[in-house]
Amino acid sequence: MSLRRDGRLGAAWIAILIVLPFIAAVIALGIGRMSIAPGEVFDVLRAALSGKHAESALIEKTVMQLRLPRIILAMLVGAGLSVSGCAFQSLFANPLATPDTLGVASGAAFGAALGILLGFDLIGIQLLGLFMGGAAVALTWLAGSGRDRGGLSYIVLSGIMIGSLFSALISFIKFAADAESQLPAITYWLMGGLDKANYRTLALGAPVIIAGLILFMLIRWRMNLLPLSDDEAKASGVNIRLLRGITVVAATAITASCVSMCGQVGWVGLLIPHMCRMLFGNNHLSIVPASVSFGAVFMIIVDTLARSISAAEIPVSILTAMIGAPFFIVLMRRSGGWRI
Amino acid sequence: MSGQVRNDARSGGALLRIENGNFAYKSGPQILKDINIEVGPGEILAVLGPNGAGKTTLLRCMMDMLHWQSGRSLLDGEDIRSIPASKLWRRMAYVPQARSAAVSYTAFQTVLLGRSSRIGAFSAPSAEDMKIAESVMERLGISHLADKACYAISGGELQMVLIARAMAAEPEILVLDEPESNLDFKNQLIVLDAMTALAAEGVACIFNTHYPAHALQRAGKALMLSKDGRSIFGDTTSVVTEENIRHAFGVDALIGEVETPHNIMKNVVAVGISEDGAPEAADGAAGAAASEKAGHKEEAILASITVIMRSNERAALINSAFRDYNHLLIGRMGLPHRRSEKYIISVMLEGPAAEIDALSHRLSLIPDISVKTTYE
Repeated sequence: MSLRRDGRLGAAWIAILIVLPFIAAVIALGIGRMSIAPGEVFDVLRAALSGKHAESALIEKTVMQLRLPRIILAMLVGAGLSVSGCAFQSLFANPLATPDTLGVASGAAFGAALGILLGFDLIGIQLLGLFMGGAAVALTWLAGSGRDRGGLSYIVLSGIMIGSLFSALISFIKFAADAESQLPAITYWLMGGLDKANYRTLALGAPVIIAGLILFMLIRWRMNLLPLSDDEAKASGVNIRLLRGITVVAATAITASCVSMCGQVGWVGLLIPHMCRMLFGNNHLSIVPASVSFGAVFMIIVDTLARSISAAEIPVSILTAMIGAPFFIVLMRRSGGWRI
Repeated sequence: MSGQVRNDARSGGALLRIENGNFAYKSGPQILKDINIEVGPGEILAVLGPNGAGKTTLLRCMMDMLHWQSGRSLLDGEDIRSIPASKLWRRMAYVPQARSAAVSYTAFQTVLLGRSSRIGAFSAPSAEDMKIAESVMERLGISHLADKACYAISGGELQMVLIARAMAAEPEILVLDEPESNLDFKNQLIVLDAMTALAAEGVACIFNTHYPAHALQRAGKALMLSKDGRSIFGDTTSVVTEENIRHAFGVDALIGEVETPHNIMKNVVAVGISEDGAPEAADGAAGAAASEKAGHKEEAILASITVIMRSNERAALINSAFRDYNHLLIGRMGLPHRRSEKYIISVMLEGPAAEIDALSHRLSLIPDISVKTTYE
């Protein structure tokens, strides 16, 4: 069970990475206030696939209507945030880069908060979130590029500026919001949660995330050129500006979709890629698929905990940080640090 | 003065040429003025100059990473700017300074990146790409590093990995930015030997260096830049002279020769910082010998060169050198020593000392052979 010399995953790892999210999903489908055995979960899924109804309508509704969309969302968000975190870290050759580096998450969160303030429905909130996420990145790009020299570091700096600008705007919205009804909704939404998952919001957000994931999987070997210095990258003979542009657009679209569906979920985009880097090295041939798989599994686990350890839902951001930080420290100390 | 091009009798034609290259950074002084160089297959060009004279800038302009203000770089007569990047970088490869290189991958994966221009956007390296990467690493003697992380190997090893990455593109031209700086004695030799060996196989090499001695010992051609924007280009022996070093570096240097059992190697010793505008007379035995030779450059003298080849591998290079200086030859003797499979070649020459020097220097750049020249 090891890597091949060129950084490709061995067959054993490929099998694990494919199977693991499905095992996690089936187990998670059975966990909750109503406990369902994996065998019954399978029956329901098989029945649903063949277009029939399961024996128990209650179990079917719990699995198919309540838990399945939520678990699909968890998988997509986990995989999406991990891969875009991974892409941004490589793009900026900076181990601390996260999906929010260019201000996209702050922008999307602002859009969603604004949507809540204006009394939009879920789809409206999601659309406004997407739009504002894109707007934040466009602003970052406008502020940071233009002059040829400096390049990426200017863009990172302006990403930080735009991010804090939108954070301030979020605070302003909270300040303006009705303290009785809107403020708790906004605050709760900002802490992140997958409880809003249903097939309608998924239909809007999932295609973007899936398309982004497929794109990154396809260009994953070429992503190895991202951390190279400018001259090295140019000398590779590859159109490096195009590669960087595609990376930014895809990672941004994924992140904005995730945030618009479930609020700000921290840590995943930092923790999972680094876990993969520590396991497999920095070659994107292995860390992109590994980030997809481990990100999905991690998010399923965290969300299952969030909805089942107490009577009230716990916002996932709290859990990702509480699980992520100690886990990350242990991992870092064991592997002797990280490098990009 | 600037752009002084010495055309010698060498055949082959220019693979890479710079025509009237000029460059200045925004609102800065003119750094590069009227640069004209040409490099043919298998030739090594050394770019010399003090800090800030524009050595790296020259390489970057040459490769179109910076754009010439006026003038152009030509690859096989075609303007480099009109060649698509993916085609250009199959023929030319760049070895950055080790300290500015990315180090996140294993050595083997780094070398594989050199294949990028030949691998599609949606594909990964094929079995053939991997084979080429392996054979390049073997050729450079770094196969044992393959699975080590690049941040865990020494500076000299990293430099060799970067050369291997460049060679994995199977280029005709290799551009190296100070390949031997920051390396210890042994690693300098390893890197320079690797470059020399690649040139002997026909790769044109262009390298920046802080060491005039390395130019004399390794490069057939040299470009010397000074801070005032002037440049001199030509055969190394005519460019790297005590006078030019004094002008470009502001250093009084002596160029001497060190004799080994196999070769006579030129060396440059810096003896002091020269006082502005007051060229001092060269002193010491080596300096005296050099200036004495210089005094007789025009009249014809007799000389003999003896070459011992340890294998037949370099015969073509030696023969082409003699062919280019055919007009000097008055006698030639080749003697294969069958028992040891070694070859002894002895030639008698008559001609201007400068030309004999040039031939002798050219032979001294060929790796794996012993050469000595005796003057009348």
